Amino acid sequence: MKISVELFGAAREFSKTKYLEFNFSKSCKIIDIKKKLYEYVDNKFNGNLNYKEIIKSSAFCSDKDQLIKENQILNKNQIIGIIPPIGGG
Amino acid sequence: MLHAKIINSSIEKIEISRAEEFLRSEKFGAVIYFIGVVRDNNENKKVNGITYDAKESMVIKSFEEIYNETEQKLGIKNKSVFIEHVKGYLKLSEKSILIGVACKHRDEAYRLSRFIIEEIKKRSPIWKKEHYENEDSEWLKGISLTT
Repeated sequence: MKISVELFGAAREFSKTKYLEFNFSKSCKIIDIKKKLYEYVDNKFNGNLNYKEIIKSSAFCSDKDQLIKENQILNKNQIIGIIPPIGGG
Repeated sequence: MLHAKIINSSIEKIEISRAEEFLRSEKFGAVIYFIGVVRDNNENKKVNGITYDAKESMVIKSFEEIYNETEQKLGIKNKSVFIEHVKGYLKLSEKSILIGVACKHRDEAYRLSRFIIEEIKKRSPIWKKEHYENEDSEWLKGISLTT
């Protein structure tokens, strides 16, 4: 199963591409996606603590623009968005 | 009535005239415009400009939700609201957001305008990256939406 994470705000610094893609052998939850993101930061950015803090404080949203609950099970290929702490206006 | 739009700064600018045209009505006696602009300093750093990022569809949805909540939360039934927010780079003094509200009376209009900007700050997925005089830049810390 493939989860594509669309990058926004501070998380755009994670990659020059718009998305990061992660494979899971079965269903997953937000905590599993965060683990993959932490591993990605460890490998690509030598464990950059600022980037890890962004992941920790981020919410995630579905392709229907609904916030995904921490315990919600994702069991099909989909695109989700990472929503770092917001502050417009 | 609601107008909600994200403005791509590389293509167009926020124009008050568009809000005036949208809000003009003989039904409303009070019209208020709130305009956010890029200022030249933040936390003792000289700012040259700001890049705004937004998850556009989710931002529009949040604007609609905020508008729909105002009848129940503020008791304001008859109103017209115009909201535009920029995405992209802005120089100093350029407009990042325009909230125009039209109501029957001024008390309703002031309350409605304040409510909308405060809710946008708390709920709409928009981000700011400040660009500084020394060529550094930084994404500003904000409010976490974690569930």
